[in-house]
Amino acid sequence: MFSKGPAAQARALNLNPQPWRWSHPRVLVEHPDEAAGLAIASGLRYAGYAVAVCPGPAGHERCPLTGPAGCAPAHDADLVVSSLGYEHEAAREVLRELRTRYPDTPLLVEAPPDMDESLHELLDGCHQLPAPASTEQIVATVQSLSGHVAGEGPAGA
Amino acid sequence: MSPARAPPVRSPFHSEQEAFRFVLLVILALLPVALAATLGPTWLALVVLAVMLGAVAARVVQVRMRKLRAVEMPVKMAPPHVGSASERRVLIVANDTLGEEALLNEVERLASVPHTHVLLLVPALISRGARLTGAVDGLLDQARVRLKTALDRIGHASAVAGEISEADPLQAVEDTFATFVPDEVIVSTRWERAASGLEPRLAGLVRERFAVPVRHLVFDPGAAAHEPDKDTEARYRHESGEVAARTFGLKALAGAGILAAVLMSAVALVQSSERREARAVSQAAAEQAAALPPVAKIVDLSVIPEYKPGPEGEKHDAFTVTEFTVRAGQPQQLRIDNTDSVPHSITAPGAGVNIVVMPGVHTYTLIVKHAGTFLWFCTFQCDEWAMAHPGYMSGYITAS
Repeated sequence: MFSKGPAAQARALNLNPQPWRWSHPRVLVEHPDEAAGLAIASGLRYAGYAVAVCPGPAGHERCPLTGPAGCAPAHDADLVVSSLGYEHEAAREVLRELRTRYPDTPLLVEAPPDMDESLHELLDGCHQLPAPASTEQIVATVQSLSGHVAGEGPAGA
Repeated sequence: MSPARAPPVRSPFHSEQEAFRFVLLVILALLPVALAATLGPTWLALVVLAVMLGAVAARVVQVRMRKLRAVEMPVKMAPPHVGSASERRVLIVANDTLGEEALLNEVERLASVPHTHVLLLVPALISRGARLTGAVDGLLDQARVRLKTALDRIGHASAVAGEISEADPLQAVEDTFATFVPDEVIVSTRWERAASGLEPRLAGLVRERFAVPVRHLVFDPGAAAHEPDKDTEARYRHESGEVAARTFGLKALAGAGILAAVLMSAVALVQSSERREARAVSQAAAEQAAALPPVAKIVDLSVIPEYKPGPEGEKHDAFTVTEFTVRAGQPQQLRIDNTDSVPHSITAPGAGVNIVVMPGVHTYTLIVKHAGTFLWFCTFQCDEWAMAHPGYMSGYITAS
């Protein structure tokens, strides 16, 4: 099971009303492509994780994570898988917020091969997988980061 | 014989927190109404109640309109898969299309795949009106019959289960995610919503909320099932959402009008009944006043020494009028001619009256605050016998 430090828990945020309904190890998947996000989610579900799939800034007018309201799924996630690309500043802002607000939540980033210096700096300390990563690679890395094995979690909500 | 089991009662709340929040809101909403009812007139309590109801209704309409217009909810969620890696759980949501051959064939096909579990979820489509009036049995029976017919028709009994739900279809799907934990959802509807059928846009709503594959099987009359492409479905969803929102908005407006009319009528009724009561009270007071003996504007009397004979035949000092009738709280003028050379008095301690009657003709004011009959007497030393006998230098004041 992942652990979250006091820094994240002490942060009092006014969250938007989409809390997690499941108490299993929870993984937030950020992927702009719906089908690819669902494929990763499916792999993670079969590995025993509750999942949330968010398209990132592309799916919102403005990502709540970068605003004062915050983002409930990100707040309560035990691990975040981020595959937002990062060519655009909006995606980098999301990454920056994740690292600032939840420094104790493990962050697995699908990193583009040609990273500029600022992105390199931003990803420093993150767990990285070279893009494009397969679902199997992502699931295996999540498992190794969490030490969780498929079927460990209790069934149901 | 075992006793018949009552159908399970479903709680309208999904968590204790939700129920607690509801109770708290009801108390907070009723507090100003109770305060207004206690401290102010009835119509004020009604007005406060109307304002509170209006605020609640406006919030409900706002939430409902937003839901109907399908504001983007881009974060999808799903619980972990249940069972072994080879197992697959498919949730099929249908109601009016349960009799469609193509759907039943699809259920059979899915159930025939090893390690696949299929759950047929049939939301009973209970309208708010039916829920409020409790007329839900017919709709539940209809859903039950449709499910039973479908299950009888489908083989593979062990792999296919069925469930009917009284909840809103989307809520029913959400509840099923906590119990059955599907890996895939199939929503079966008609393209045009029938009165007793599922909304076609349900598939889109489920797809937005849950991180599992969602298929939408659409049945046109007399045609095979087809799956609309994403753009078509999005367009249809937007259009039907707009239509539903507009219809709901009009209904809400009409409802608000009716509610306002009812409340205004209630306020008018209360006010008119209050006015009627006030009129009745003042009328009763006027009638009571009219029933009282008449009171003279000014009473003329004299005090005369050795004026009136007593029972023994001797003449005694006396007031020529010894019985006074007054209205409580109202002044009564007494013009008294004291023919004696010394003062006398009209003193009634019970009535708070003490008029010193000086020799000569003077006008005095007699005021008695409370109703009742009070004995008065002269306190100045004069004819002792007359001072002790009403009708001479003593008498009664009656205030009504």
